[in-house]
Amino acid sequence: MVRFKNRWLLVEFIPLDQSKPTQSRLDSKQIWAALRDSIQENFGDVGWGCVSHSLTVKYFSPTTNLCIIRVAREHHRIARGGLTLLKSIDGIRLLPHVIDLTGTIKHAQLTAIEHNRRVVARFRARAGTSVSYHDSYDQYLETSNQEIQSLKD
Amino acid sequence: MFDLNVPIASSFLGLNNAKKSNKGKQPVVGNALQYTGPQIAVIEARVDLLIHLGYTAIAFNQTVNKKVDPKTHVNILDILLKQLKPRKEIVYMKRLTIILDEDSEKGFGLINAQTSLFNSYDLISLVPTNQATLALACLTHSLPSPLTAHIISIPLTLPRLPFNLKHTLVRTAIKNGAVFEINYVGAVGGDNDTTMTDANAAENGASAKRNWWGAARELTRVTKGKGLIVSSGAVADLDFRAPDDVKNLITLLGVSQDISHCSVTKSPKSLVLRAQTRKTYRAVLSEPQLVVPDQQMEEAPESIPPAPMVTEDTANSKKRPRDEPSMASETDGSKRKKKKRGKEGGQR
Repeated sequence: MVRFKNRWLLVEFIPLDQSKPTQSRLDSKQIWAALRDSIQENFGDVGWGCVSHSLTVKYFSPTTNLCIIRVAREHHRIARGGLTLLKSIDGIRLLPHVIDLTGTIKHAQLTAIEHNRRVVARFRARAGTSVSYHDSYDQYLETSNQEIQSLKD
Repeated sequence: MFDLNVPIASSFLGLNNAKKSNKGKQPVVGNALQYTGPQIAVIEARVDLLIHLGYTAIAFNQTVNKKVDPKTHVNILDILLKQLKPRKEIVYMKRLTIILDEDSEKGFGLINAQTSLFNSYDLISLVPTNQATLALACLTHSLPSPLTAHIISIPLTLPRLPFNLKHTLVRTAIKNGAVFEINYVGAVGGDNDTTMTDANAAENGASAKRNWWGAARELTRVTKGKGLIVSSGAVADLDFRAPDDVKNLITLLGVSQDISHCSVTKSPKSLVLRAQTRKTYRAVLSEPQLVVPDQQMEEAPESIPPAPMVTEDTANSKKRPRDEPSMASETDGSKRKKKKRGKEGGQR
């Protein structure tokens, strides 16, 4: 009826140097602040006003640089534009790459879990570890899956 | 997904403008020029990033200022492509950009005599900087020929768009098959190719972004979204953006969603195909086949012109095939009609 519709953006922040999988020292508050500054700078107070009440950073993983952002459906374009025009967060240069744009949280969760697994696979391939070796990534996948599943609308 | 503007600086190979000391000496032998290991590594890393973002067709761009000098011009991209490792399902293309200004009004090397020089590039583009060169680019150089410049790249970061985009010019160019290009590096605030900034065709800095939005909006207004392609033009790795993000950015210019989708997918694809017609005669891509009508008409086989002449007729593709004068008088009305149909059926 008069349901409030959202869009869930799955964003990967690609750092400057992809070969070294270092822990990113960002956190969700910094991302929110940087996104707010970008929208205010590019779309003004009007643009920020469209988006401010519904913009939330729901999840961020420093290991895989994956971020889940929720915006209202009406003005999600402005939020996505602000994201594309973002150059750096807190001085760290980044490349924002929107992997997926979904209408429900369910699909966002599925894509997020799949993305995490893929990134971990890439790390492992680069490190050349054997298949049976249990490294810290296993535990990371466990905890991150739980976090993602527990996200609520 | 297509990224048709990945600039490669000529300074990589140590080739500088003619102003430098090389002028008097012997031109450097092509074989001696090679990209060094670290340079190749940088370019490979950039290609890796582009593939990660989802691009599959990449055109490397060499920019030349003012005009192409056949004596000193080196196709740096040929050398580059030999040194890059081949990747499955990724297409590399070579593109030449010529920046036009008042000095180039008289001529800048895009003439028939130097066609062989330009055949080594898959795409040619022009950057007009004033009204006269815009007219040149839109009218003369978009006609089908071995030297068509299919891409017209408007400098979007200059403080004041140096010319009025006249509707008629733009329409003619699009009808002839040319395409207008938007480089999104200006919006993201990245640095442009140094050759462009040196030639005053681009600006980096705080006001560049504002100029970009104004000029890009003007361009989309005049072209109405048709005949538009978007490409990066980015020099730094982190200025690239994924194709979907770029699509969203174009939507913010007032272009509707499906047109902006076209400008990222269909338009560049058809442009690349069209650019291949430079290597054909007058933009005909397929070879027409002569279909001989059946043997009920005895006279017909003799008066049907031999194959080479038929090809030439179709090659003037825009015109309908004219009846050969020899046929007109000999046969009667019905046979002529049958022959005409047979001829046209063959040329389809």
